Amino acid sequence: MKERALPRARKDCLSRELDDEVVIYDPQRHEGHCLNATAAAVWKLCDGKNSASQIALIVSRQFSAQVDESVVQLALEYLTDAHLLVEQKTSVGSPSRRVALRRVGMAAAFALPLITSIVAPTPAHAATCLPGGALCSSGAQCCSGICLLGKCLLGATSKPGAKRRSSIVGAEFESGETQ
Amino acid sequence: MKKLDRLGWAEGLAFSTFGVGVGVRVNVPGVLPRLLPLLPPGWKKSRRLVAQRVYSLMVAEGCERAGMRRLHVLYADSARLARGPGLDLLLEAFEADLHLHTAEASSDMTFLHAGVVGWQGRAIVVPGRSFSGKTTLVREMLRLGATYYSDEFAVVDNLGLVHPFARPLGIREEGSGAQTKYTAERLAATTGVGPLPVGIAVISEYQMGAQWRPVPLSQGQGALELLANSVAVRRQPHKTLIRIHELARQAVFLRGTRGEAREAASSILRFCSEP
Repeated sequence: MKERALPRARKDCLSRELDDEVVIYDPQRHEGHCLNATAAAVWKLCDGKNSASQIALIVSRQFSAQVDESVVQLALEYLTDAHLLVEQKTSVGSPSRRVALRRVGMAAAFALPLITSIVAPTPAHAATCLPGGALCSSGAQCCSGICLLGKCLLGATSKPGAKRRSSIVGAEFESGETQ
Repeated sequence: MKKLDRLGWAEGLAFSTFGVGVGVRVNVPGVLPRLLPLLPPGWKKSRRLVAQRVYSLMVAEGCERAGMRRLHVLYADSARLARGPGLDLLLEAFEADLHLHTAEASSDMTFLHAGVVGWQGRAIVVPGRSFSGKTTLVREMLRLGATYYSDEFAVVDNLGLVHPFARPLGIREEGSGAQTKYTAERLAATTGVGPLPVGIAVISEYQMGAQWRPVPLSQGQGALELLANSVAVRRQPHKTLIRIHELARQAVFLRGTRGEAREAASSILRFCSEP
């Protein structure tokens, strides 16, 4: 896990709050993210002025529970993986996620940070696909994904989501949530 | 495009749909009426309009000579969209492209790939990709008395209300995957006319033999699911996010794997009927 001096959230992403979660759209990478309460609280404090330890203190006050700095580090790691922080030159060897998780323990009084991510669909991917034999101009229109000589190829049908890269950053911790 | 413009056009039509201006022209008289049922629901003829896209349908005429096939050709602006000997296939390609273009280009509304029905004054939205079973679920809910809104797009306004996009349901034939069109009336259902606030959004996938045991999703996770099914999020991220946020604030989200659509449909409607 890398240590960031003063993490700063990217300003060019669009965001909306829903209860204690935050939904973010990254127009550069065409990705959508949902931050749970802990990840959202950390993300909001990434203003380039707060260090991880300061963020841990503030979040502890917000949650009325002791939030360890390693939790904040974990959240920063996920935020970095999701490209939601301004890239920084990083330093020092720091504990792995597994070690950090062990340190945090499963009995925390708050949810561990969790970020769910999707890749935004292209228009053709977000619409009903054409069956085999239908006229097409690109493979994205066809259920088979193949447009050959102006016609959708018969045969294998792409399953829902096959055209979408969906990743859950930190999903390994989902079952460990205690909130 | 100029080359196309110079060709002889017999009939044309300019119309607007969800704030998108579209032009259509054909080279043979009498073909235009065949296109009208394929236009997006709620289209309005317009005399003065800047068309954002012009469809040009060249219908092959005349007798065929031995060894020579006459092909119909469909253009969207200057790009060739489809070409083939069967006019029906070209009309399918026209409808698919026009609806998708409308969904992508409309700035008045956000289009989500979803089935929608109305039930007790609220919309039930079923977002999902092709082959996730949206239309089957919609058809079952219609059978149980729901009002038809769409089997293709949930059309969302700035307040998060869902408008009808009541094109005929495209019910897939087993095996080929080709769709047969059924109007709501043919399925003995009524069609919704006004916008509705969302009651629930159901993220479901078909799996043979599965039992419908949905779990609630948080609003943030639900909003992300809607984002994953929005047609124009890449082109209009700001408006899309605002409208999805408004919709998600009002909605309850459920996710589950379903087996038979009948069981899931009746469970969903029961859930919506609860106070």
